[in-house]
Amino acid sequence: MEKDKKSGIIGVIITIIILILLVVFTNTNSESVSIIENIANTVVVPIENGLTYLKNKLNNNDKFFENIDELKTENEELKQKNSELEKSLREFEVMKTENEQLKQQLNLAEEYGQYTTVPGMVISRDISNYSKTLVINIGSDNGVKEKMTVIADEGLVGYVISTTANTAKVQTIVDSASATSCLTSTTRDGMICKGTIENESTLNATNLAIDSKIIQGDSVETSGLGGIYTKGIHVGTIKKIVEGTNKTDSYAVIEAAVDFQKLETVLVITE
Amino acid sequence: MKKVIIHLFLIIIFIVIYLLQAIFFTNFTIAGVMPNIFVILVLYIGLYMGGSMGTIYGIIYGIFIDLWIGRNIGITSVCLAAIGILGGAFDKNFSKDSRMTILLVGAICTVIYEVASYILQYLVLGMNIEILVFVRKLLIELIYNILIIIIIYPIIKNTGYEVENVIKGDKILTRYF
Repeated sequence: MEKDKKSGIIGVIITIIILILLVVFTNTNSESVSIIENIANTVVVPIENGLTYLKNKLNNNDKFFENIDELKTENEELKQKNSELEKSLREFEVMKTENEQLKQQLNLAEEYGQYTTVPGMVISRDISNYSKTLVINIGSDNGVKEKMTVIADEGLVGYVISTTANTAKVQTIVDSASATSCLTSTTRDGMICKGTIENESTLNATNLAIDSKIIQGDSVETSGLGGIYTKGIHVGTIKKIVEGTNKTDSYAVIEAAVDFQKLETVLVITE
Repeated sequence: MKKVIIHLFLIIIFIVIYLLQAIFFTNFTIAGVMPNIFVILVLYIGLYMGGSMGTIYGIIYGIFIDLWIGRNIGITSVCLAAIGILGGAFDKNFSKDSRMTILLVGAICTVIYEVASYILQYLVLGMNIEILVFVRKLLIELIYNILIIIIIYPIIKNTGYEVENVIKGDKILTRYF
């Protein structure tokens, strides 16, 4: 019985480790961290440390640390100073974040100055893997109504689908049920940008005209058709053009301008 | 009194799980996929408190989830209620002593919930159909949910029988016949 309990606990611990490893490895950018480099460091660093220690012993370099008491006092003082500096740094970080958020709101208001807007913060994200809605901290008390356009510093976020007194639900353009009528900024080719369940950063542009001349890297903006989104709001850029078996099957992959994973501040266009 | 405490606990645990899903698991993902702990919670209620209780809790939880973040009220309620019913059915037909049974039941319920939810979202909201991407995400979610069930299985087992004794009382089916 005792043995079963022990093996059960070990099983749970192993599972937790596996889960953490899975989360870490599937979310780490493989280009920035070299696993081999890490393994090599793990092996080499202790040996290097040992050899350095040995070398110091042989050369009597370790006698440099004779006055241990004095060093300890100095160390304590430095530790105290360090904790004070860390505290100041944390306060500075908080101020810096606040400053950045306020700047972002100011920039947003200036960029879309022709519209009457209400700033808001994202307070909740979707808990499902297959839909991408957001909740913001402004609602009908702030003048927010259904079908109002929501934008961010970089471009279009989505539109309001429902409101309460103090919150509003926003369907993002990358939601799988979303379809936005768009135009390319240079060639003025029309397209429908649909969200996918695959990821939170791209849209598929379909319904391309047979004679459309869309080019990679071109900017995409809202067309104003459909009665929800205001015309001329930046949506993203064309990342890739996928040619189908015939011209009508062709579609383009649009890289959304807004980083939905890091989105914090939004503006709701009220007029 | 004990029954009231259990129901209060189920309300608190629901709020905790909602916050975990909305704040913690949005960042703690496997290849961008979150687990679905609500399925595990409703299944737990169905297994240890009966199918009717599972259904009622499934509907109530679903309404709140839809009110807080959903596109429209109903889809999550229907799917979670189905999991509650399934939990009740599994309770009557399988032994809950085996870890493997709970894992399999959890896996089956996760698949049924997500497939039903996806079909309903397609029919009601006009969601685009992307079968291959959906299957890939579902498989990752399945693995995630199984890992979570393995981790919390000791809690499920220890609290489950206590809850069952309090809620079902005399109506409890004999487990070891």
